[in-house]
Amino acid sequence: MNLKALSRWTEKELKYLLLVPTILLLLILTVYPLIFAIIASLHTINIRTGERSFVGLKNFIQIISDNLFWNALKNTAIYSGVGVTVEFAFGLGLALLLNTRLAGRNIFRALLLTPMMLPPIVVAVIFKIMYIPDFGVLNYLLGLIGIKGMIWEASVKTALFSLIILDIWEWTPFMFLILLAGLQAIPTDPYEAAIVDGANKFQIFKFITWPLLIPAVLIALLLRLMDTLRIFDQVFIMTGGGPANATETISLYIYRHAFRFSNIGYATAMSFIMLIITVIISNVFINRLKAEEVFTL
Amino acid sequence: MKSILKLVFVIFITIIVIFPVIWIISTSIKNPIDIFTIPPELVPPNMTIDHYSILFNELGFLEYIRNSIIVTVSTVIVSLSIGMLAAYSLARFKLPHNLNYQISFWVLSTRMFPPIVTIIPLFSMLRLFHLINSRTGLIIAYTAFNLPFAVWMMRGFFAEIPKELEDAAMVDGYSRMGAFWNIIVPIARPGIIATAIFILIMSWNEFLFALILAQTKVSATLPIGVASNVTQYQILWGRLSASGVIAMAPVLIFAFLVQKHLVRGMSMGAIKG
Repeated sequence: MNLKALSRWTEKELKYLLLVPTILLLLILTVYPLIFAIIASLHTINIRTGERSFVGLKNFIQIISDNLFWNALKNTAIYSGVGVTVEFAFGLGLALLLNTRLAGRNIFRALLLTPMMLPPIVVAVIFKIMYIPDFGVLNYLLGLIGIKGMIWEASVKTALFSLIILDIWEWTPFMFLILLAGLQAIPTDPYEAAIVDGANKFQIFKFITWPLLIPAVLIALLLRLMDTLRIFDQVFIMTGGGPANATETISLYIYRHAFRFSNIGYATAMSFIMLIITVIISNVFINRLKAEEVFTL
Repeated sequence: MKSILKLVFVIFITIIVIFPVIWIISTSIKNPIDIFTIPPELVPPNMTIDHYSILFNELGFLEYIRNSIIVTVSTVIVSLSIGMLAAYSLARFKLPHNLNYQISFWVLSTRMFPPIVTIIPLFSMLRLFHLINSRTGLIIAYTAFNLPFAVWMMRGFFAEIPKELEDAAMVDGYSRMGAFWNIIVPIARPGIIATAIFILIMSWNEFLFALILAQTKVSATLPIGVASNVTQYQILWGRLSASGVIAMAPVLIFAFLVQKHLVRGMSMGAIKG
């Protein structure tokens, strides 16, 4: 083929050619792991020795009776459920309150974005320092207002709760900023009409603000749910899953099986289950988002 | 009255958000004996930079920083160049069978993949090519992970540019790619820079992949360096907080630069803030 014909062909097929590198990389990222997971989960594989033998559904049967797996699933669900709910409630409250012209709003926004931009590892380090029981600043401050100090992440009772507090500190600003942007995108005409019709504040929120805010709500909840379900870094640094597995999460448990116990087959079987849970939850949201036409295509 | 109350409330919230960050900085410049005082001191009575000099001189933090910079910058360059092309195609051309829509949502759905699910296959694949404990392996992993974001963000930015601009350029004799490079990219530059900074922050902060793929001095990034100061036996708080400050400082500077695009970036381009 001569050069001219080649360049004409390139121009004609350009729209596909441009997509090729991205699609190849994403196939490697999504389709290959999926196939790998299905195959590996039916085997017992030791990653160090390379031994591999077919065991059928044994891994999955073992998972069902693995109390530590269910414990990790429970902890992840509590972390995700409580964390995201509180963040959403705080974020929405703040957004509704501050959806007005405010002196120094840009400075406020700049400061608010600090926690979520920090490396999660560093956030965990910060809280580890503040949680120091005897001389830590948090127990000291609580003491000033008459609350007895705790041992935070070191106690089975409060460990998970201590991690959720960290998550709330780190991510409430995210909820706030997304919901505030959603509020500010709502046109003012419906409000004027509602006020003329004599609607009260609650009715205005229920019939105007909330329906128009739904897209922002969906995207904020989706992204936060996906991130909390995979929570790893903060737990790894703060507690390593302890004490007594009180903060073991799914990601941490899979990591331990795969890279500490070299138990690849079992770990992939669990990761396959995790993937299915993730896909189900994210599809619920993505379908709603499609229906709301949030993504302009 | 109402607005004063509101302002007080805002200041209160800001203090809650900022205090922990100030606290780690303060701890990192305290002498070890001053870290444990009652009451705790926000401003250290005797400041010291000992913790920082130990990290740099004895614990190899310069190497962690070097690795972090190389991995982050390469990831930004590779994922931007690949993602930009796909984004342009999705934003501009009408593909048959509603493929624009299908591919866009497929790209978005890969963002939902939990990293722990991807890392085991990725690990075995990279090991096959002897790319474990190398910066290249980490760059490949990070590129794959940041690509969906790059495509989604830039697709939005390109779609906002009127089509007529390239049409006019092509009438003037530019090829399609020539028009893209000379007309579209310069106009979309603020968006491209914002996307780059977001990818930069995400790669800089990443921990799980680095933990599994890069454990040696030639490849380990800063988060690994920070984590190495958290041991089961005794934690040296001054050192630990100093390492945290080193890891967070560049990110904070960059975060201020993307402030304007923050909401858009954080919501995968779904919400324009």
